[in-house]
Amino acid sequence: MNILALRTPDGRPLLDLQSKPDGLSALMMIGGAVVAGVSLSIVLFMLFTKGHSAYNTSSDFPWGAPIAFYMFFLLASSGLSIISSLDTVFGLKTFYPVAKRCIWLSIITLVAGFTLLALELGNPFRLLWAVPISAQFKSPMWWMGIFYSIDLALLCIKFYLLHTGEWDSKRTHLISVGSFVICIFASGTLGLAFGMMAMRPAWYSPAMPMYFILTGFMTAVAFTVLFTSLMRRVSGTPENVRKLFDDVLPRLFFITLLAVVVTRFGQIITGLWGNYEGMEAHWRSLTSVMFHIEIWIGFVIPLVLMGSRERRTNVSIQILSALLFMIGIFASRLHLLIMGQEVPLFKDYWAGYVEYTPSFTEWLLIPAGFGIVFMLYGAGNWLFNLADHRAPANAH
Amino acid sequence: MARWGMVIDLEKCTGCQACTTACSMENSRLPGENWQDVLFYNEGEYPSGKLTWLPRPCMHCENASCVDVCPTKATYKDKDGFVLINWDLCIGCKYCMIACPYGVRFYAEEKQKTLPDVREVWPSKDGKVWDPPWAMPSHLNDPKHGVGIQPKNVVSKCTFCYHRVSKAPQGTPDLDPNDPKTRDFTPACVVTCAPTARYFGDLDNPKSYVRKLIAEKRGVRLQDHTGNRPQVYYLAGEAASIPETRSTRTKKV
Repeated sequence: MNILALRTPDGRPLLDLQSKPDGLSALMMIGGAVVAGVSLSIVLFMLFTKGHSAYNTSSDFPWGAPIAFYMFFLLASSGLSIISSLDTVFGLKTFYPVAKRCIWLSIITLVAGFTLLALELGNPFRLLWAVPISAQFKSPMWWMGIFYSIDLALLCIKFYLLHTGEWDSKRTHLISVGSFVICIFASGTLGLAFGMMAMRPAWYSPAMPMYFILTGFMTAVAFTVLFTSLMRRVSGTPENVRKLFDDVLPRLFFITLLAVVVTRFGQIITGLWGNYEGMEAHWRSLTSVMFHIEIWIGFVIPLVLMGSRERRTNVSIQILSALLFMIGIFASRLHLLIMGQEVPLFKDYWAGYVEYTPSFTEWLLIPAGFGIVFMLYGAGNWLFNLADHRAPANAH
Repeated sequence: MARWGMVIDLEKCTGCQACTTACSMENSRLPGENWQDVLFYNEGEYPSGKLTWLPRPCMHCENASCVDVCPTKATYKDKDGFVLINWDLCIGCKYCMIACPYGVRFYAEEKQKTLPDVREVWPSKDGKVWDPPWAMPSHLNDPKHGVGIQPKNVVSKCTFCYHRVSKAPQGTPDLDPNDPKTRDFTPACVVTCAPTARYFGDLDNPKSYVRKLIAEKRGVRLQDHTGNRPQVYYLAGEAASIPETRSTRTKKV
């Protein structure tokens, strides 16, 4: 089967290789490929020569930065899937213009997250058969593996359906509902993987799944604002989608960020108040750089910037706020990871905290992850016409 | 079926760390990879402060959280009460290390704490972490029960010397290192303990001495509130104590 000859029902090529990518897409593709290629090459070289000693993790601090980074991408993916569902599941017409773009972003952030996860695991290939056959229903990580695999499959099917113009069919709706449910389960289970750990009191919380889903959604809003704003500069904005970019998305950004801030404040104050052993990690947070990047750069400044209508509608302010939030939430993921592990268990240490700073190889996973996302986003924008959307007149 | 367990009498323990050394030699552990460790800490404040210690093997919990979180069932609870790792199934996700409240698990693929890196001094030719000259005979290697030297990229932990204990005749109530009939089946840390602070036996056997000790000397379990129900009990008596906390928090004024 020649995939290049395949066409959508409305006659467009399935893979539009004939068209020329616009400048920004080409830049993203080539730049992303170079950045990801170089970083991944170095990381793989380090892993092959030094093994996991290339990371600064230890038996006192088992989960390192790669876990935080893949958490960032996986939760962003689930959030993006939710945004795409606002249209395809809940019929919110305003979100038609970003639905397809969000599904593609959701797929590629998942791919980036899986790549980072594979680089963190001791035996990533063993996972492929050992997890499915184990049927360890008690393990949140087992469910995560199952849910995220189904999530990726459904996202790909959903993207294919939209790409071939099936916006309104019953099967698209069914797949969309399934995809939405699974992405909630997947990100919620990732929250459970941390929230269920009573022996790590700084993580232990029944609210963790909700917090993960919420912050994932917020990350997705920031992603959408950032990528759509970038694309607007290149291709302009049709009148019928201007309302989404100028009004709905920025307002959604502000409201969701407000919800994140309130939830996070609840976490912080509970942690500082609690006497339970292990909760002192929250006090130590106050001296952590990551914590302050999260709170001030990630939450407070974007909240102030997006707080007024005039500023919200300014594209530059939108981009700046989205960028700041992304930096903040990235730091937040790393900070959360450290907080749960820095109070020592019955090993080596007794007094003091377990110290951890990611190694150079671990930091390289950031450009590796983002390189993959930018490369695939540029490719998607070129080949799949991500600006494509159902005309509002046809919407039900 | 037995439910093997250990009793450690903290009044008798001198903190000599012979148990740690015996375990390291028996199981060919890397420096710092102390399946059995003795942790030293300060308790109290001047003028009543004191330096004290806690011997800490794997607790081989009844409700082991490490077993529940393992996504491949590589960590499992054996019918005789051992918590073991099947190295052929371990994917090295380290979730068990997160979920163990006691910090008894190790991942050898990390920067070594001592130099030279002995993994490079005695490298393994068959994919294991290392291969020191004193390693146990290769026919005793049992990766399905986490015995021997582990392959790279898997988690390791104390096995209660499964390779010894599992060979004990069925129905044996206690494994006493002073009894020639049971000495060879007794865990290395128990055999080597000079002040005989360690006792090993079947917690389910009404005739076992460990049961008697726990009942009569009020055996307690570490961090019992976690619900993991360790099969290692401590006797604090009047002269010793189990740590009230591992916390680093300073007292609120």
